[in-house]
Amino acid sequence: MAPPVRSDEQGHATVTIVTGKAEARRRLQPGRSGTLRKIWEHRADYAYVLPAIAVMLMVIAYPIYYTIELSFFKTPPGLQLRDKTFIGFDNYTAILTSQVFWKVTWNTLIWTLGSTFISFVLGFATALALHRDFIGRGVLRAILIIPWVISAVAASYIWKWIYHSDFGIIGAVLVGLGLADRPPNFIDNVSTVLPSLIVVNIWREFPFAMIMMMAGLQTVPDQLLRAAKVDGASAWQRFWHVTFPHLRNVSVVTMLLLAVANFNSFIIPWIMTGGGPSNASHIWITHIYELAFGRQRWGVASAYSVLLFLILMTLGYFYVRALSGNERNEGSA
Amino acid sequence: MAHVVLKDLVKTYGGFKAVNDVSLTVNDGEFVALVGPSGCGKTTTLNLVAGLVPITSGDIVIGDRVVNDLDPKDRDIAMVFQNYALYPQKSVYKNLAFPLQMRKLPRDEIDKKVKEAARVLDMTHLLERKPRELSGGQQQRVALGRALVRDPAVFLMDEPLSNLDAKLRVQMRSELKRFHQDLKATIIYVTHDQLEAVTMADRMAVMNGGYLQQYDSPAQVFAHPVNMFVASFIGSPAMSLIPLEASAANGDTVLTSAEGWSLKLSRLNARKVQRATTKKVVLGARHSTIKLHKSEVSSAIPAKAFTVEPTGDVTFVQAFLSGAIVNISVSPNIAVAPDEQIWLEFDQERMHLFDGETEMALKAD
Amino acid sequence: MSTIAETASRGQTRRRMRVDGWRWAGRIFLVFMLLYTALPMIWMLITSIKSGFAATQFPPQWWPDEPTLASYQKLLDPQNSVGQDFLRFFWNSLFVSTVTTILSVIVAVPAAYAFSRFSFPGRNFLFFAVLLRNMFPAVIFLVPLFILMRVLGLMNTHGSLILTYLTFGLPLAIWLLKGFYDNIPVQLEQAARIDGATRFQAFIMIVMPLSTPGIIATAIYSFIGAWNEYIYAYTFLSKNDQLTLPVGIQRFFSENTTDFPGLMAASFMMSVPVVVLFLILQRYFVRALTEGAVKH
Repeated sequence: MAPPVRSDEQGHATVTIVTGKAEARRRLQPGRSGTLRKIWEHRADYAYVLPAIAVMLMVIAYPIYYTIELSFFKTPPGLQLRDKTFIGFDNYTAILTSQVFWKVTWNTLIWTLGSTFISFVLGFATALALHRDFIGRGVLRAILIIPWVISAVAASYIWKWIYHSDFGIIGAVLVGLGLADRPPNFIDNVSTVLPSLIVVNIWREFPFAMIMMMAGLQTVPDQLLRAAKVDGASAWQRFWHVTFPHLRNVSVVTMLLLAVANFNSFIIPWIMTGGGPSNASHIWITHIYELAFGRQRWGVASAYSVLLFLILMTLGYFYVRALSGNERNEGSA
Repeated sequence: MAHVVLKDLVKTYGGFKAVNDVSLTVNDGEFVALVGPSGCGKTTTLNLVAGLVPITSGDIVIGDRVVNDLDPKDRDIAMVFQNYALYPQKSVYKNLAFPLQMRKLPRDEIDKKVKEAARVLDMTHLLERKPRELSGGQQQRVALGRALVRDPAVFLMDEPLSNLDAKLRVQMRSELKRFHQDLKATIIYVTHDQLEAVTMADRMAVMNGGYLQQYDSPAQVFAHPVNMFVASFIGSPAMSLIPLEASAANGDTVLTSAEGWSLKLSRLNARKVQRATTKKVVLGARHSTIKLHKSEVSSAIPAKAFTVEPTGDVTFVQAFLSGAIVNISVSPNIAVAPDEQIWLEFDQERMHLFDGETEMALKAD
Repeated sequence: MSTIAETASRGQTRRRMRVDGWRWAGRIFLVFMLLYTALPMIWMLITSIKSGFAATQFPPQWWPDEPTLASYQKLLDPQNSVGQDFLRFFWNSLFVSTVTTILSVIVAVPAAYAFSRFSFPGRNFLFFAVLLRNMFPAVIFLVPLFILMRVLGLMNTHGSLILTYLTFGLPLAIWLLKGFYDNIPVQLEQAARIDGATRFQAFIMIVMPLSTPGIIATAIYSFIGAWNEYIYAYTFLSKNDQLTLPVGIQRFFSENTTDFPGLMAASFMMSVPVVVLFLILQRYFVRALTEGAVKH
């Protein structure tokens, strides 16, 4: 529109003091004094976050630093850390050349991808099936969420009992139906142990995907669906062309959260098998735990942790990107 | 009640200047509208006066106090928000009582004032309801009531009517005006709707791009816009602005269009055009000052009707001249059809002329 | 004429059948998911009311010949050594979870509010730092925290767990609460400040009451998270009378590997508080998670 008419009258240079919401327009700050001044002007705001930051620093920043440091040292058993000796990258080379490492990495990959993908698909499908209102929907939803609420320790014991090689109910049913001669040994068998544990993990995790996708489904605009219906789209086409694209961001966030949780899971394999038999169900976390607390090899365990850290940072990058992608979409909508 | 003075008010966000050297005085008991398109800085200005946003530089005076560094609660102001900002968990009564409680008034006095305000605004029967149980108009009234009970020095209103439907908006507009007349209240009213500003305000401050463009009575702003922005923003349908080129012919000053036609100017208008910085001149004409002819007239300019919009008591015709849209209002008994050849005659006395470079209004002296 | 009508009606039927096809697929799928979800829990309950002998039969007794509550009696009997331990663990879990929850809310509320409302330098960085915390597994922190706790003299105390759980739960708590604060119009606080409240009063008197659902949800999350936590408790606690339920049960049953009814009863008892809490407050629970994740 018209240029500001008074600009020539008010042409004198104003020394601008930077205050207020910088995020509104992020520009280069006029030097350090500007930033310091800003921090000073917002000093009261920090008081609100200070308690949280203080706790975080102590329990998070320090451990991260310490883990990185320790990963370059050889540590004697028993944690007399005065006696540690610097060995450079030896811990890392030892890990990357060990056979167990590749075995465990492969297991972690199967565990994470399998659990994440199947949990997501089952959760999404359940959310879709629950989207239409029917009698008892609320009760059904509550029941389906319970596995997510109860402790993973309890879940591990329940399923351990279900899989039991002598008295397990699945084995008994298979024998009863004539599908097996004797109860199969699910978790004491190198080839079936990982899939069996994944089933348990999915049992606990699909409700999370379900909740997220149910919430996502509620944001799909009815008008779009109705418009598609008028345009002659079938139920499947409406899902594929309207619902699914609309849920892309929620799906990405959900899958990332699931992937991170699975990558970090510990309890189910630890309690059900302890990583066995012969490392067949060891994943990174259980392996690190065993190295550190079982065999007291702190240096190697720390190096493992640092590698894990790097992988998670990469995942975290995508997580943040997906989150801010969400925000962008909201903004333009 | 009190007067309000803004002096060289500046607000920057990072490198972005939201409010630029705004200076204006609101007299005691005056109703002033801050009007402009979204993002023009009018709401920021109001928030600066309220103290919700810290000022970057300049001064704000309310009554006889400089309030630059005072908290909102100490500025003796009341504010009505666009979304009403009623406390959802409190009943209407408690919403009205809240500002009084915060000032630690005795309970019986609070009760008296709340009931009085409710009576004035005719909502005694709503006192026990929660905001979500009220209609938009009722919520609006409660918001007004909450400002009213305090008896503040200044009322600040941030687009208070824009969430209402059209019919209710017209009704509330007259109620607000009545409210102002009865209370002799000092009101600063932010709106993007120029019609609200024109109908209610004693004076209006037109803003654009963080700058104050013009500050005058609605009649003056309407009759003498200082620049093209104000000219096009105030009045509906908007003033037609036709870019032309000035030249001299036989001692007369003539405005020529790239389309070939030209318009001879009156003596007064010719004097104005001589003050332009370049030859580029923009002719401004409101719809009611253009006469539409259905047959050729000597001083009229040929054009083709583009759209015809009957509104009942008046029919609006749109045409193109020199690439600009021209709005003309005609009596409904003149039948014009789209694509029909028409002739347009401009009223020399009531036309506006703007400098094509600076976009400022051209004056004779 | 009649043929057209016929074709039309046939088209109608086919259409309805196709829609019904999807609906039936959905129903069958839901039944399948219900069985997958519920059968393990039902089997847990059935096993828990069997005697040790009845549980180790092949083929299994689908319903116990002689249902008995003996396992529950044993676990809840303060005279019995098993009961003493179990009640002790239960109390420890309750204590740790409750204190963690209270502290989480106290710390998370102002932080979430600040992240939602203020824009101080470093705000985005801090917020993402807080979120990123969620990405890292317990194990990364385990070794250094183990050492830190020894330095702080918190080994074998509930303090070590509370401190750890607090940081564990804070990112999620802050994230959830921020979602709630984002949805409270800032004009409400501005109105309150103009009405005579200070910024802090506006927060306490106007914003806090409105965010109660969020605070409840955050509290449930903290509680359930702390109640179910295993790995830190497993590492930091070694004295029997300090153990929380998940670790305590594991210790106990690694010594009594065949008492499956007892194990199932204990698993059930351990799940009761969180499931009850969840069922009562599930409205808030689900809403909080989705406000944070979906709406912003």
